[in-house]
Amino acid sequence: MRKLLDFLVRKRHWFLFLFLEIISFTLIYRNNAYQRNIILSSANLFTGKIGSIAGSVRSYLNLYEENKVLSERNGTLELELLKLQDQIEAIMADTVHFAGYVPDSTEVFPFEFISAEVVSNSAAQLNNYITIDKGTEDSVFTDMGVVSDEGVIGVIAVANKHYSVVMPLINPKFRLSCKLLRTNYFGSMNWNGRDARHSYLYELPRHAEFSKGDTVVTSGYSAVFPPGLMVGRIASDAQQYNDDFYSLKVELATNFWTLKNVRIIKNYRRPEQISIEQEAKKND
Amino acid sequence: MIKHILTGTFNFIVFVLIQVLILNNIHLFRIATPFIYLYFIIKLPIRTHRTQVVFLSFLIGLVIDAFSNTPGMHTAACTLAGAVRAPLIRFFKGDELPGEAVPSYRLFGVGGFIRYVIAIVAIHHLMLFFIESLTLFDPLFLLLRIAASIFLSTLLICIVEAFNIGAKRSGEF
Repeated sequence: MRKLLDFLVRKRHWFLFLFLEIISFTLIYRNNAYQRNIILSSANLFTGKIGSIAGSVRSYLNLYEENKVLSERNGTLELELLKLQDQIEAIMADTVHFAGYVPDSTEVFPFEFISAEVVSNSAAQLNNYITIDKGTEDSVFTDMGVVSDEGVIGVIAVANKHYSVVMPLINPKFRLSCKLLRTNYFGSMNWNGRDARHSYLYELPRHAEFSKGDTVVTSGYSAVFPPGLMVGRIASDAQQYNDDFYSLKVELATNFWTLKNVRIIKNYRRPEQISIEQEAKKND
Repeated sequence: MIKHILTGTFNFIVFVLIQVLILNNIHLFRIATPFIYLYFIIKLPIRTHRTQVVFLSFLIGLVIDAFSNTPGMHTAACTLAGAVRAPLIRFFKGDELPGEAVPSYRLFGVGGFIRYVIAIVAIHHLMLFFIESLTLFDPLFLLLRIAASIFLSTLLICIVEAFNIGAKRSGEF
């Protein structure tokens, strides 16, 4: 008995080692799920704070680029405004009585943007995550879609009070329902872990027509993203078959290496869609 | 003793910050990411009790995980690296080392120290990358990434250690 105790005390570092490894693997196992631990992620207050300090330094370094992008964006929007004004004037000139355009109040566009800043970002790893500086207090919740000026980024994986973590397109755990803008065939986008500029579109039916450079947009089937948001362009003519489906290489529209400002999409009708989808599944 | 605790705390904070703020964003040729925070584990005094080494390694892994959104991955790899540190030191240098010593070029010799660093870095990186690839397996790419990252981490740690020699000559440990 004493020998056994002696042995246990002498080898206690190995027992501690085993114990701590078990803890780590529990963490790995539990966090491989889609929902993640808030305390141990960059969405907690301390890591978020340090990240946002580093982010503010970095944002000063990027101001020039940011400015350029913003003024370009401003330009396109102004052009659009001018076009619309022009159209309204044409209509006014056309009709004898133009009482102004009143949108149908029952037809509300169910999406709204919340803008946020990237606090920390990774594009280099296999399981990439992006931390942003808005949380539940700014009504950002889990499963909301996130986009940038360029295109789709991902969905909110964890939301804390002031920070949240986004699971981007370049995370192999994330799948996004997409369609080809030109031909409307839809497939599922999933990243293969190698290159942050490219992803793959799977499960495209074999009779689908496509050519290099075709635009890939969100399908809008998921209630997370509205339909028609830019995702990327088909990067090559070469396709791989598996079973009866194509998989295509897509060049992503978003450059994940230079993310700075993002927008979170709030969908007012999301609870409704989810509840009716659940109801439909119940009958299976 | 106090000096060791102070240097240890300093190493811990500085290398964690360097890792999470700078090196986590580096991805040389899309394959290699250096993990310099292992320097903390490498530089713990030789006589530190093995339970303490294991526990401190676990702690630094946990902190790195919290910052880089990889719960458990670095923790598991660091705990392993901490556990095999003492056997590795014994393997490379035997038991006859002075008690308060810290692994360094002077104590191990340049070649010996580099071998010791490579061994710890290799064990840590193998564990880390294998855990990471549980979600997505791509063998050739994986081996390439492991080899490149081991090279880069070892290089960085040896450079940091080379800068440390000057400090030691001027009387600071």
